[in-house]
Amino acid sequence: MVQKERMIGLKAELEKIKKETLHKLEQLNTMEELQDLKVKIMGKKGSLTALLKQMGRLSPEERPKMGQMVNEVRAKFEEAWEAKAKELEQLALAARLEEEKIDITLPGYRLLKGNQHPLSKVIEEIEDIFLGMGFTIAEGPEIETDYYNFEALNLPKDHPARDMQDTFFITEDILLRTQTSPVQVRTMEKMKPKLPVKVIAPGKVFRHDDDATHSPMFHQVEGLLVDKGIRMSDLKGILLYFSRQMFGESREIRLRPSFFPFTEPSAEVDVSCMLCGGEGCRLCKNTGWIEILGSGMVHPRVLEMGGYNPQEVTGFAFGMGVERIAMLKYGIEDMRLLFDNDIRFLKQF
Amino acid sequence: MRVSIEWLRQYLKIEQTPEELAEILTRGGIEVGGVEDLNKGFKNIIIGEIKSIKPHPNAQKLQVCDVNIGSEELTIVTGADNILVGDKVPVAVPGAKLPGDKVIEPTDLRGVKSQGMLCSDKELGLEFVGLDRSKGGILILLPDAEVGSKLEDYLGLDNSVLELELYPNRPDCMSMVNVAREVGTLLGLKPKFADWLEVNTPLWPTDVKQKIEIENPELSWRYSALLVEDVVIRPSPRWMRNRLRAAGIRPINNIVDITNYCMLETGQPLHAFDRDRLKGTVRVRLAREGEKLVTLDGVERQLDNSMLVIADDSGPIALAGVMGGLDTEVTASTKRILFESAHFAGANIRRTSRKLGMRSESSSRFEKGVDPHGTVTTLARVAELLLELEAGVPMSFTEHCVCLPPQAEIEVSLKRVNALLGVEYSEQEVEQVFEALNFDYESKPNGKYTVHIPSYRQDLKIEEDMIEEIARIIGYDRIPTTLPQGIQTQGRRTPEQEFRRKVRHTLTEAGMNEILTYSFTKKDSDDIWGRRDMNIPILNPLREELGVMRTSLLPGLLETAARNTARRNLDLLLFEIGNVYWPHKLPLTTLPQEKTLIAGLVQGQSQRHWLVPQIKFDFYFLKGILSQLEMACGVEFTYTRLNNSRYQELLHPGRSAEITVGGEYLGFMGEIFPQLDEEWGLNRPVLFELDFDVLYKNSQTALVAKSYPRFPAIQRDLALVVPQDIPSEAIKNRILELGGELLQTVEIFDVYQGQPVAEGYKSVAFSLRYQSPERTLKDEEVISLNSNILATVQKEFGAQWRK
Ligand SMILES: [Zn+2]
Repeated sequence: MVQKERMIGLKAELEKIKKETLHKLEQLNTMEELQDLKVKIMGKKGSLTALLKQMGRLSPEERPKMGQMVNEVRAKFEEAWEAKAKELEQLALAARLEEEKIDITLPGYRLLKGNQHPLSKVIEEIEDIFLGMGFTIAEGPEIETDYYNFEALNLPKDHPARDMQDTFFITEDILLRTQTSPVQVRTMEKMKPKLPVKVIAPGKVFRHDDDATHSPMFHQVEGLLVDKGIRMSDLKGILLYFSRQMFGESREIRLRPSFFPFTEPSAEVDVSCMLCGGEGCRLCKNTGWIEILGSGMVHPRVLEMGGYNPQEVTGFAFGMGVERIAMLKYGIEDMRLLFDNDIRFLKQF
Repeated sequence: MRVSIEWLRQYLKIEQTPEELAEILTRGGIEVGGVEDLNKGFKNIIIGEIKSIKPHPNAQKLQVCDVNIGSEELTIVTGADNILVGDKVPVAVPGAKLPGDKVIEPTDLRGVKSQGMLCSDKELGLEFVGLDRSKGGILILLPDAEVGSKLEDYLGLDNSVLELELYPNRPDCMSMVNVAREVGTLLGLKPKFADWLEVNTPLWPTDVKQKIEIENPELSWRYSALLVEDVVIRPSPRWMRNRLRAAGIRPINNIVDITNYCMLETGQPLHAFDRDRLKGTVRVRLAREGEKLVTLDGVERQLDNSMLVIADDSGPIALAGVMGGLDTEVTASTKRILFESAHFAGANIRRTSRKLGMRSESSSRFEKGVDPHGTVTTLARVAELLLELEAGVPMSFTEHCVCLPPQAEIEVSLKRVNALLGVEYSEQEVEQVFEALNFDYESKPNGKYTVHIPSYRQDLKIEEDMIEEIARIIGYDRIPTTLPQGIQTQGRRTPEQEFRRKVRHTLTEAGMNEILTYSFTKKDSDDIWGRRDMNIPILNPLREELGVMRTSLLPGLLETAARNTARRNLDLLLFEIGNVYWPHKLPLTTLPQEKTLIAGLVQGQSQRHWLVPQIKFDFYFLKGILSQLEMACGVEFTYTRLNNSRYQELLHPGRSAEITVGGEYLGFMGEIFPQLDEEWGLNRPVLFELDFDVLYKNSQTALVAKSYPRFPAIQRDLALVVPQDIPSEAIKNRILELGGELLQTVEIFDVYQGQPVAEGYKSVAFSLRYQSPERTLKDEEVISLNSNILATVQKEFGAQWRK
C-alpha cells in the first residue's frame, strides 16, 4: 500500500517535473541557461536523477513501469531541449551576422602597381606577335654610321630621297639613325650565309621634326625575312596576320605602290579602319583605310651589301611607327603626350 | 606638283571626277595629297570698269564710284584708295556670294546707297591675280578683262587641281606631259600630244657667233640654247596666266611665263638671258673661290669652287640650275634672248642649293633628275609659243653636248615576275602592261622580254623596277596572301632581351611607372648628373636643351618629375630603362658605347587610404623596390656608404649608398642633396641608377627551387639597444654567423629611437628563426644558442638586452 502511494507520489512528481521543466525551457534565452537547466534536471543532482534514485523503493513490478515513464519524460525533455538549443543557436548566429555587418561601399585596398609606358607596351605586343610567327629580335646602335643608315640601304650621298628624312648629325659620317632599317644590313652581315634571316628590330629613331604628329625621337619596328623563294604575297600574308592580331580579327589590309630606296617593289600598307570598320569616319578621313606601315621586297643592292646573292635569295622588309600604332590603338591625338610623361596619363595603361 | 584638270584634259579625255582621279592615281602609286577647287566659294562676281570716282559727301575715308558692269552702271561706295578711272575690277553685285557664304546686299553707307561692293583678292580667296597696284586694296585686273563677264570665267576658276605628293623616284611627274602619260596608263587611255613633242633635233640654223663650252662634263652633259630676236615684252595671254596660277606660279610677262610654262609642260627647267648683256662664250664651269654673283632676288651670293655656274667672259652670270643673275635678267627693254635648256647633275645642284639656302622650281627638278634627252624638245616648244604669243622670233640654235646616256634596256622574265610577286600572270597580261606604259619591247622565247625604257623614266633601271611597274599597273590587289614556305623557325627573345623585359615588369609590379624620355638632353644637366664632358654634341640640335646625347638617365627623370610636380602630381614612382652614350674619344671617330641603364626616382607618399597608414616614398621604400629586383634577378645587392666625391654633392651623404653585386659596382641610390631638390622644384626625391649589363651578368637566370624542412621551426625575438652609428646589418650578419647552421633567418622587425632609449642609442629588434632539416629542435638547444648570441653581441657591439 505504501508502495502504491509511493508510486502515485512519484508519478505526480514526475508529472510536475515534466510540466515545470518544459515550461521553463520555453522561457530560456541563452545557451548558458539552457545548459544550467539540463544540469538541474539531468545532472548528478538533477531532479530527474533524484527521482530515479527513489525508484529503488518501488516494488519490482512497478519499477519498470516507472522506469519507462521516467525515460519517456527524459526523451521528451531532451527532444525539447535540442529543439530549443537549435533555435537559440540560430538566433545567436543571426545576431552575430547582424552585428558583423560592414559598409560594403567603402573602397577596397589595392596593392600598389605601376604601369608600363604605352610605347614599350605596344612594342612588346608587336614583338610577341612576330615571335609567335618565328621571328627573332635583332638590335642595332642608335648612333649609326652614314653607311648603315643610308649608303648600304641604296641611298648614296646627295640622293634626293635623303630629303625624306631630316637627319641629326654628330659628325659628317656619324648620325642618329633615322630609321631602324640599318639593322637589316647589320643582321644580314652577321647571319650570312645562313638562311632564313627572319628578324624584327624595334628601337628608337630620330628625325629633325617636332609637332603634334612628329617627335624628334620616336620608335620603329623593322621586319626582315630573307630566304629562298620569298614572295610579295608572303609579305601580304604576314602583314595581314599581324594586322588582325594587333587591330582585330575582322581587319583587312591593302597595299599601295610606294617608294623606299631599299625595297623594290615597294608598298604602303593600309589597314581597314578599326573605328568604323571601313565605312568611313573622322579617324580614317572617310576613306575607310588607315596607313600603318611601309614595306617591300628587299632591293637586290641591299641583299648584295648584306652579303647575299639576289639571284639565289629574295626577301621582304617592312617598317612601322610604334607611336602611330599606339595612337591608333589608344586614341591618342597628340604624339607629344607620349613623351610628356604626365603620371596621370601614364597610369591609364 | 599641282596638276590642273583643265590642262590635263588637253591631252586626255577624262570622264572621272577629280576625286575619282585622285583615288586612281593614289592606288596606282602617285599619291594625291589633296584636291583643290580653284573657286574658293564666290558667285556672281562681275567684271566692271570704273567710270568715275567722287569723294563721299559725308565720309572722308570713303569714295563713290560709278561702275559699268556691261548691263548697267552701278553706284558703289568703297573705302579703298588704289583705284583709278578706267580700272577693271571685280564687282560683287546684289545677290553675289563671297567665300564664307557672305551675301552682298545693297546698303546705305553714310547717306549714299551702294549697289554692290568692289572686292580685293583676299576677299575672293585669290592669289597671283591682277596688277601690282592690287596689293592691299581692290583687285585690279589686266586690261584684257571683259566688262560684264563673270570673274570665274575670266580667271578659269571652274577647275580643280590635284596636289601630287611625289616620291623621289618619280621626278618625271613634275611635268604635265608625263603626268598625262601616267594617267593615261592607269586609265587605259592614249594621250594626244602635239607635234613638237616629237622634235629631237634642232629645227633652227646654228648660231656660229655664240660659243658654248661645258668645262665640267661630269656635272653637265648637255647645254642647248635657242637665240631669239625681236622680243616684245608684254603680259602673256589669259589662258597661259590661268594655267600658271593653277600650278601655283605667278604670271610675270610673256618671256618669264613661257619659260615657266614649258618647264611645267615638259619638266625641263629653262632660263632666259638678255643676250645683249652676255659677254663672249657661255661656259658651264665650277665657280672659283672668291667669285660673287648677285642673283635675281637681289642678294649677293658668295660662291665657292663646289658650285656649278654659268659664266661668260666677265664671270658667273647664273647659278646653274638654281637661279639666274640680276645682270643678265630679261627686262622690259630686252630685245634679244638666249634661252638655256640644259642638263645639270642633280647631286651638285642639291648641294649648292642647300649651301646657299635657295630652292627654286628649277633646282627641285634638277635635284631629282631631269631627262637629258629633253633639252631640244623643250626648246621646240619654246619656239612654238614665242611665235604663237608674238613674243619674239626664234633665229638660231647652239649647243654643247658632251654625251647622252644610252636608252636603258631591261630584261624581264615572266617567271621571275611571278616568282617574286607570288602571282601567275600570263604573257598577255604582262604585254598589256608594256603597251599601257607605251614602252617598246621585244618578246623572246620562254616568256622573256627586252623592254626599252624611254628616257623620261630614269627610275627604271633593273628588272625589279619593271616588276613593280607590272604589279602596280595590274594592281597590288591582285597579289594574293600566302605564308612563307621555308623551314619553320622558332621565335624567342635572347636571354638578355628576356632579362630586360623581366626588369621592366618587376619594377612595374613593384609600383613604379615607366617613362620614356629623349636620348638627347641639356648639356648643363648632363654635365652634373652624367659623365662630365663625355656627352656627345649634336651638330644640328632641334633646340639647345636637346643639344647633347645623354650620359645619364637622371636629368630626364628629374625633368619629368619636375614637370609632374609643377602640375601637382606630387607622389611619383618613376623609372626608365634606356641607353646612354659613352664615347671612346671626342670628337667621335667611331661609334660610341651604348650602355643600357636602369634609373628611377621616388617622391612623396602613398595615397591616403582609410584602411592603411600612408607610406613615405623615401630611401627605405626605394630600397624595398630594389630588393624586389634582387629577388627577381636572384642576386643580393650590397649597400655601402657612397664613396664617390661627385655624388657627394648631389646626394645626401647620410642617405645614399653605393650598390655592388658580386663585388662589382652596380650603381647608386640616395636622396637628393638638400636644397638641390628645391632648385629642381622637387620635394626630397630619392634616385637610383644601375648598370643593366652588370646586373644581367650577375643575375641567376635559372631558378633552382629550395626545399624547406618539415620539422617545426622555433622563433625567438631579440631586442638590443646599441649605439646609433652601428649599422643594423652588421649586427644581423654577426647574429647569423653565431647562430650557425640551425639559425635559418634573421629579420629586423622593429627599429626605435627616443624615450626610454638613451640619447645616441637605438633599439633594434631581431626575429630569429631556428630550424633543423633533420629533427625537431629542443628548447634547451635554442636557449643556449640564443644566450651565446646575446652575450657575444653585447660584448662586440656594446649592445644591451632590452627585455
Ligand atoms: Zn574609319
